Amino acid sequence: MVSSTSAKKQLWTTLEVPALRKKYYAESLGKAGGQKVAWCSNGVPSEILDAMDINAVYVENYATVCASKRLSSGFCRAGERAGFSQDVCGYARILMGYLLGGDDVPEAPYGGLAKPDFLVVNSYSCDSRVGWFATMSHTLNIPLYVIDSPYQPLGGCTEVANAVYTESQLEDFVHFLEQQTGTKLDRGKLREKVELARRANDIQVDIYDMRKAVPSPMGAGDAYTVVWPGMYMAGTKECDEFYERLRAEISERIEKKIGIVPEEKFRLLWSGLPLWYNMALLNYFEDFGGVVSIENLYFRYEKSLPSQHEDPLKDMAISSTLRRPYASDIEQRAQLTLEVIREYHVDGVILAYNPSCRMMYILQPELKNILDRHGIPNLSLECDMADERTYSEGQIKTRLDAFIERMLSRRGEGK
Amino acid sequence: MIVAGIDIGSSTSKAVLMDSDKVLCYSIVTTGAESVKSAQLVLDEALNAVNARRHEISYIVATGYGRVIVPFAQDTVTELTCHARGANWLFPSARTILDMGGQDCKAIRCDEAGRLLNFMMNDKCAAGTGRFLELMARVLGIPLDKLGELSLEAHNDVKINTTCAVFAKSEVTSLVRDGKDKRDVLAGLHSAIAGRVYNMLRGVGIEPDLVITGGIGKNIGVVRKIEERVGMKVLIPEEPQIVGALGAALFARDSSTVKEERNGELDKCQEATLDHS
Repeated sequence: MVSSTSAKKQLWTTLEVPALRKKYYAESLGKAGGQKVAWCSNGVPSEILDAMDINAVYVENYATVCASKRLSSGFCRAGERAGFSQDVCGYARILMGYLLGGDDVPEAPYGGLAKPDFLVVNSYSCDSRVGWFATMSHTLNIPLYVIDSPYQPLGGCTEVANAVYTESQLEDFVHFLEQQTGTKLDRGKLREKVELARRANDIQVDIYDMRKAVPSPMGAGDAYTVVWPGMYMAGTKECDEFYERLRAEISERIEKKIGIVPEEKFRLLWSGLPLWYNMALLNYFEDFGGVVSIENLYFRYEKSLPSQHEDPLKDMAISSTLRRPYASDIEQRAQLTLEVIREYHVDGVILAYNPSCRMMYILQPELKNILDRHGIPNLSLECDMADERTYSEGQIKTRLDAFIERMLSRRGEGK
Repeated sequence: MIVAGIDIGSSTSKAVLMDSDKVLCYSIVTTGAESVKSAQLVLDEALNAVNARRHEISYIVATGYGRVIVPFAQDTVTELTCHARGANWLFPSARTILDMGGQDCKAIRCDEAGRLLNFMMNDKCAAGTGRFLELMARVLGIPLDKLGELSLEAHNDVKINTTCAVFAKSEVTSLVRDGKDKRDVLAGLHSAIAGRVYNMLRGVGIEPDLVITGGIGKNIGVVRKIEERVGMKVLIPEEPQIVGALGAALFARDSSTVKEERNGELDKCQEATLDHS
């Protein structure tokens, strides 16, 4: 049983996100019929779809919306009735339940999703996602495009070779979109979108850098919310302006030394996906002087490279190649996590161990081993990111309470 | 000074009363449907044993899964921290603790002062817990407290493939039906449990001495199998079920001492104020 859901938001700017999200879904639904609709996975560049006037709907985000509104169990059950095992990705089960559940599903948030004309999935960071999209393609009888992102661990294939391959993938993707819409991509328009997205990325890099401050100016409760515009509205002025305001607010908090708690006793890193149906867990430590001051999943650590090529697709290919390894490469993940622990003055790590996220499930234990070897206190929480039925309040709270006792004991306080 | 530690577990509730340096008494009752009543009952039983009254207790700390519902406790501490403290107080050489309770198992590491360093718990599964053994005892028609001794008489341990309580039940039923000796089946069950908790112990790192707490510590068959697995002798408290409550009582003693010191300082302040007036 989950006793509470939403994380406490401390920043004024964060409070703008729910309205942005609502407007985004309302507009998406309103446009249906006038524009081609693409259901997309994360990692599908919205700038290209926007430049081609395609209505992009990011279904994994919709699954997190369902979870945050405590509707995941109803949709998951419907997905399971359709034959998908509880071991299948929680996001996928929610969407398959939404698609195949008939009348026996909860009321869809935001009035539901615009009906898709085709599907696009990026193979980046997750393997079961491709199978999920292939299943939806079969079920809905609409075309699917797979943007193949090569998985290359650090020290593997050179970045140049990857960038060349990624560029060829993007070119082919554009060709697919042109076939679907019957219009040519305006590369000048794409260039404008790419530039806006780069500026938004760079501001977010600044914000991550500012979060090293003590006391923590923004905790994970806000951070997991403010990633949304950057992920789904990249390449728009609205997105840029949002991050400008956020940066200004964080800067002011640092100047005035406004933290998340009155006296910061320990700082935590949340590693992996949050529990979207119980984001309040991110605030659980605050009564004890603890702050989840940083998270590593959506971390933006590199500013954009300056535009080097006339063709924006080339620049996009290079950027995505350089950004890619973190999500799926254990070396990169370990390096970044240890760096973050050092630079953000992190005292302990919460490892979300999400059973239905195959990539997380296989990588988190090794990250735990690495943290253990470095003597960094850590706690694994085994719960799904989307399916709230996997959450057991008593079990989780006992683990969290014991971990808090351990953190305080290290300071010579508490038990 | 009397202090109390109360451990509300899923199967049993335990209370330990202490004075400043020793355990006065303890009590164990079955946790009923209403945990608050179990907490009251177990504390009253302990108080009766030493002919004391509730108001004589200067501090109460609650622990266990039901710790938050003990209305008369001044503080709560998790069972992980309490088992570390309690086991280390009984055996100062203890650095690794395996608590095997009614619904979960915990591998715990502590330092020389009994402070919690690391822990692992079983997730969402009753394998290797008291509930699992209760179920197997019923299936085999053997009293729970006889499982350990009987399993030591085994000649050919039967390999049990699953530690899932539900699947193990059908596996054990068919083994008995096939004519396997119950003692051999029991030894196999204990081996399966030992194998499962061994992985947890490895997860936190096994540093001697290893102490087993919780009700399963009374099952000599499981204890022997764990000893075989870890390659060392384990220490078992005289009453392994009360170690969590004991740890809670030790924390209560700390808090009571601090309270008394504060009161002492307050008295001195008042005296000084009176002297000046």
